[in-house]
Amino acid sequence: MANKSGNAYGLTLLCPILPGSPKQAPQGMNEQTYAALIRFQLQQLAVNERSPMARVPNTYLSRLWVLNDVPYQGRPATLEHLKSAYLVFSSNFHGELEDYLHGMWKAVEPEIRAVLQYCVGFDRVANAATFIQYIKKCQVTTTFFFNGSSDEPLAVQLKSLYLKQEFSKFAFANQGKNSVDLQAAFREFVARAQPSNLARPTWRAGAYHLDTVVLE
Amino acid sequence: MSNIAGKAYAMNAVTPMHWYTAWMNKFFFWVSGRFTSFLGGLLTLSLIHYARWVIVKADQFPRLSPDQPKETLKYHYMIFFSNFNGSWDQYVDSFSSAISGGLDKFWIFSIKYPKSIPMLPFHRYITANQIWTDHYYNAYPMASSNDVKSARRVKDGLLAFMPNVERASPEEFQQKYNRLLLSLQHDLSQMDANQVVSLAASSVEHRLHKEIEKEKERLPVRQRAEM
Repeated sequence: MANKSGNAYGLTLLCPILPGSPKQAPQGMNEQTYAALIRFQLQQLAVNERSPMARVPNTYLSRLWVLNDVPYQGRPATLEHLKSAYLVFSSNFHGELEDYLHGMWKAVEPEIRAVLQYCVGFDRVANAATFIQYIKKCQVTTTFFFNGSSDEPLAVQLKSLYLKQEFSKFAFANQGKNSVDLQAAFREFVARAQPSNLARPTWRAGAYHLDTVVLE
Repeated sequence: MSNIAGKAYAMNAVTPMHWYTAWMNKFFFWVSGRFTSFLGGLLTLSLIHYARWVIVKADQFPRLSPDQPKETLKYHYMIFFSNFNGSWDQYVDSFSSAISGGLDKFWIFSIKYPKSIPMLPFHRYITANQIWTDHYYNAYPMASSNDVKSARRVKDGLLAFMPNVERASPEEFQQKYNRLLLSLQHDLSQMDANQVVSLAASSVEHRLHKEIEKEKERLPVRQRAEM
């Protein structure tokens, strides 16, 4: 199976979107298609550390987009169309699929419902177990998955990035010190950075600014 | 809508191929998965976090209800997902310049694929088949793929170093510390937010930030602190 590369899993979903428009659309969205409503929902999601995906354990990188139709290549290629539009979800994460989906349902169930309510068959999803069944029906198998990164658990990666940042600062700040002062400074660094403690201090998942990235 | 999350860019491209060439394309991928020499160039392009190729035919598009019409596509479609560092131009040009041969192996059966050299037709081909991302999330937007890999070496180096110097004299500590720095010299650097790669991505972030701030103002003080 090509869905995995090392410890990284590449999940690809094509969730068919309901045809047409809802009878009762959200305010200001009258006569919009279900596909347009999904796109609208996706574009309202907060980004970086406020993205719902930041709360889903072990997510490295993920994305959502709408496939309305297949691209036409021009003559002499055949012009063809999809019968349904699809919500495409792609996630690169650490670990096994079922554990990941359990974590996702637990962390962001309201956000999942807000987006997938416009997809075919989602009305039968009632809990984590039926959500996993639904996702497996929407999954397409990866033909080739290239892992160009580290595939350690996300908590380990984030702690490692924190240590890289802090130790780089330490090395710069302590150049030229005598051995006694250097050793004392390193002891202080270890007490503060706690290299073996994955929980804290570390980097916050999704954070994109120096003033918000450290989780003390 | 944004293809950008910090230092990562999300590319999606959908390209058709004939059913009778799809198996050959799959064979190339199969070989690439087993013999890493096929991936030589791709590994050299260390700007990629993860990339994925998914080939689907008509009956592999999920059908979740008898009311949902069956897809009747004649072609097979290859969906390409990439997470890379840098701008679109940097990425596409790196592919053309560094691994044009390898790239052509993966796309050669896609209809009207112009090959990766010369660059202009290749740029036009990617642009015509690229689909924009509606929501993109990156767990470490301040880090490049190389940062993630070097962070692992820094962490491993530090964890091995600490017990080794626990009872060391200051002089012994300094010797070992210098050795540690020497071994990690390629991995130490400080990360920060990127310069603005895309004005659109930057303004989306700015707009969402402003909306969150407005939302905070509407909340009572206690709830505001929890946000």
